[in-house]
Amino acid sequence: MESDSSGVRLVDRERGANMARGEEAEFTELYRDYCKRLYQYALSLVRNREAAEDAVQDAFLGWVRQRAAGKEPRQAAPYLYASVRNRCLDRLRRRPEVALDEARIELLAAPAGDEERIGLRHGLDRLLLALPEEQREVVVLRTWHDLEFAAIAALQEAPVNTVIARYHYALDKLRKELGAHE
Amino acid sequence: MNDDRIERLLRGYGLPETPRALDARVLAHAEMILGRARAKAAAARIAREFANALGFGYVNYVIDLITATDAEYRVDLI
Repeated sequence: MESDSSGVRLVDRERGANMARGEEAEFTELYRDYCKRLYQYALSLVRNREAAEDAVQDAFLGWVRQRAAGKEPRQAAPYLYASVRNRCLDRLRRRPEVALDEARIELLAAPAGDEERIGLRHGLDRLLLALPEEQREVVVLRTWHDLEFAAIAALQEAPVNTVIARYHYALDKLRKELGAHE
Repeated sequence: MNDDRIERLLRGYGLPETPRALDARVLAHAEMILGRARAKAAAARIAREFANALGFGYVNYVIDLITATDAEYRVDLI
């Protein structure tokens, strides 16, 4: 802990001034690293573009406000994921989930030139969005966010084995549905 | 089609792009919040130095004692 000339303990709030230089650049980097992932995660939860944008914006600005107040979360990623999730669940409590037929969103981006994936993208998007919410969340976090099952279990507040089972149930459904289309 | 093939197929897809308006909005708001925090911290530092120079360092000490908090991890629930 630092002291000033009169031996007075400096408070955490003053850390804000020391961290100030380059904070915007640091935040921009954090935003670039996580915005796509968090946007896809929010889309998968609320199936609505505007609500997903709001959740992502609120999560990032919440992090900035905490940092500006000298109460920066120790790790940005767990904070951002939990924050997006809380905001999406709050939205779902207030307004029911958008019906699948009305969901005009895309969770996946097919790589250019990959004809197989381009051909399957729309159907796969629909199949993913049709999965039960908990299963959809596990598949998204495990597949595109590389989160361990333990981390997903912490987010869902569920036992790890339940999360693993959800993942396999979801893959099983996708496999069957895709098989039916082959 | 087995689970491995499904996983490989899924992992081959990328993430959707974020809307540009969202990027611009978040970065502009963040800049504003950080700028305001910097200005506030600078004003507080000047006030502290001024109080010290006038011999009122004990006031800073008392304020610190009352307001000092440990940084903590928390998630805003709305």
